[in-house]
Amino acid sequence: MHELGIMESALGLVQRCAAERNARRVERVVLRIGTLSGVDPDSLRFAFEVVSRGTSAEGADLDIESVPATAYCKGCQEEFTATAADFVLRCPNCSVLCGDVRRGREIELSRLEFT
Amino acid sequence: MSNNTPTSADETSLGYEIHPLSGAAVLPGASLSAPLSAEISAAFSASPDGEVAVRSLDLRIPLLEKNDILAERNRGYFLGRGLSALNLVSSPGAGKTTLLERTLDDFALQTRCAVLVGDLETDNDGNRLRRPHVPVAQITTGTVCHLDAGMVARAAQSIDLGGVRILFIENVGNLVCPASFDLGEQVRVVLLSSTEGEDKPLKYPPIFKSAHLVLLTKIDLADALGFKREIAIQNIRRMAPQARIIELSARSGKGLQEWYSFLRGLAPAN
Ligand SMILES: Nc1nc2c(ncn2[C@@H]2O[C@H](COP(=O)(O)OP(=O)(O)O)[C@@H](O)[C@H]2O)c(=O)[nH]1
Ligand SMILES: [Mg+2]
Ligand SMILES: [Zn+2]
Repeated sequence: MHELGIMESALGLVQRCAAERNARRVERVVLRIGTLSGVDPDSLRFAFEVVSRGTSAEGADLDIESVPATAYCKGCQEEFTATAADFVLRCPNCSVLCGDVRRGREIELSRLEFT
Repeated sequence: MSNNTPTSADETSLGYEIHPLSGAAVLPGASLSAPLSAEISAAFSASPDGEVAVRSLDLRIPLLEKNDILAERNRGYFLGRGLSALNLVSSPGAGKTTLLERTLDDFALQTRCAVLVGDLETDNDGNRLRRPHVPVAQITTGTVCHLDAGMVARAAQSIDLGGVRILFIENVGNLVCPASFDLGEQVRVVLLSSTEGEDKPLKYPPIFKSAHLVLLTKIDLADALGFKREIAIQNIRRMAPQARIIELSARSGKGLQEWYSFLRGLAPAN
């Protein structure tokens, strides 16, 4: 699915950054993936194994930091973070359902470690 | 690699990170400039005893940046032309093409519309939608399970958008992947048909959370199927409180006037 394409662009960036810094080997790749990004972490892991094969990132650790959904409550003028796994974003203060999602859609290459 | 090499992994709670090699405080999201980095790399890539230090680099690069930039470009282009683009997303068979056929035969007689239609393999939908008064471009995506902003930009350039006020973009039938890809639309429309079950909104949070409008389609079948409309609507409200909801049937015509008046509200007076 689309995780393969996303991982391909991640690996392209990883290799470019690593090459610019004369890296020998990429040791760790850290991604930040929002729980509302529509991207599946397991599919990303699988895709990473596939696309990193034969590159300087083969065998590197892939860390996927999950970014929880955060919404803004207009009434309370406050952000809150989803606690339940069902993604129903109800303000813990006033119980109103909130559709203004402020975080949780991230699909980011966060950090690299290399030697 | 050596075992006890420093990394900045544990420093994030400070609000900044101490770069392990330069000792510089680095804000999350910032990266070292290339020349500094190269210097550090030369100095540290091998210590005298042959051990190789692990270097850490903060990037914070959005992986769909290219798509997002193209999407913003599309949005500006559409706005500049005074047209509203709608991205129609649903599971296969929820009724996107049928609703568009009907809309082109009624609504599009008064307000000029155009269609971009994505499909994995065939151009059937494009043929169903073709009308003398409607420019239509088919986007065959092959194995790609969603449209992206680049495909939309190319397809939009292949048709005559002169006088067009509403651009319908029928996405590939899929409730997962299209959620991540902004096309530059003004309105994201998610269709849910009464044949799909009431709990579907709860199973696909990303797409429903990104919807401006949810269309509950094939409402003519609801009774025969024992489809519980109130529960479906309650689930949509829970998952997508930001979205407007319209119940309709392209077959019976129920709800179509509401859909058309929604469209009229988008189309700037010409
Ligand atoms: N009963 C009924 N059937 C519909 C309605 N809209 C679409 N269909 C049928 O549902 C099937 C799939 O519709 P289609 O428009 O091709 O779905 P798409 O894949 O989302 O474009 C077709 O057989 C349509 O005739 C409707 O409002 N009522
Ligand atoms: Mg279709
Ligand atoms: Zn509140």
